[in-house]
Amino acid sequence: MDRIARELRQPVRVSSSLDDRVMSAVRQVPPHARASLWSRLTTPRSVMVTPLTWGVLAASLALFAALGAAHAYQDVHRAAAPIAKALFPKADTPQRAQRVQFVLVAPDAKKVAVVGDFNGWDASHAAFQAKHRGGGVWSVTAPVPVGHHRYSFVVDDSVWVADPTAPRAVDNDFGMPNSALVVPNPE
Amino acid sequence: MNRLARAFVALTLVAPAARAQDPSLAAKLDRPTLLAVTAIIDSARAAKLPTKPLRDKALEGAAKGSDGPNIVVAVHHLSIRMGSAKRALRPGAGTDEIKAAAGALDAGVSTHDLARLQSAAGKRPVTMSLAVLTDLIGRQVPIPTATDLVLQLERSGVKDGELSLFQRNVRADIDRGADPAAAATTRARGLVQRGGGAPTSPRSSGRAD
Repeated sequence: MDRIARELRQPVRVSSSLDDRVMSAVRQVPPHARASLWSRLTTPRSVMVTPLTWGVLAASLALFAALGAAHAYQDVHRAAAPIAKALFPKADTPQRAQRVQFVLVAPDAKKVAVVGDFNGWDASHAAFQAKHRGGGVWSVTAPVPVGHHRYSFVVDDSVWVADPTAPRAVDNDFGMPNSALVVPNPE
Repeated sequence: MNRLARAFVALTLVAPAARAQDPSLAAKLDRPTLLAVTAIIDSARAAKLPTKPLRDKALEGAAKGSDGPNIVVAVHHLSIRMGSAKRALRPGAGTDEIKAAAGALDAGVSTHDLARLQSAAGKRPVTMSLAVLTDLIGRQVPIPTATDLVLQLERSGVKDGELSLFQRNVRADIDRGADPAAAATTRARGLVQRGGGAPTSPRSSGRAD
């Protein structure tokens, strides 16, 4: 027992080259993948960038910004379209029109005009002044937007006459009758 | 992004539009009438109703020499009728359909029958059907009879051109002295038979609900 204790108390003699050999062996062990990636990300290092690389990087950023701006523009345009359409229905959708002939038999008339939703009920509208075709027949052919309209004839600037050949519009709010006109879409 | 964009555009566009007054109305209406009509139009716009028919109604009143209060009442009534018409028609109904439906309501057609007509037409516009229906009622065809006949024509898939011809034929028959209901029923039967089916007997009396 005493001999064993004496042996253990003896100082350990280590070769002076042991550290070098151990470290050399450690360096030869392949590094762990995760440790390597983390190490690469966190270890400060110097990066050499050529002017060409800077140019490519700047062009990429510019392209990214342009695509973003285009997307944002489309977004705003899409959002604005229904609002603008509701507020200004005629601003971006020109109404299609068809030429419509209006005929009234009024042998004693001196002047006949057509007024309606399509001309702001304006009896002086030049395109809707009927001409006397002879035999008491007055007519005018004028462009009328596609859709449902109410209209009437004004004889001698004073007498309102519904078109006897057209459907009647029953809304008689102002004591004078109107006719209805549905102009179909040409397509 | 969408919400922000919508809010921005709405604020930008709505604010000046709410203050704007239609120049053609301003030229034809006196100041109090103009303010009242503009308020009705703004309310209609907020309710997503078409505003052009209201503007046209005001211009019609001015052209016919009506006084301001009458114009305001007429525009207001039209906005109410258009609201009822819009609720009765399909969600995507256009301005012309709503306008024609408002005219039909004015003639005495019920919102229930408007909905039936819209249901029969499916996605097809009912503008012409409503114009013909309103005309028949204006020519003294009883409302239930006229409604049922136009419903049957719509269910038969009759086209707008045929409906227009039907209206002209009925008018000619009535002008020659025919009973309005008999003329309309006879002409409708002929049109439907050409299309493949005969109309059933229309309701003979009573106003639609």
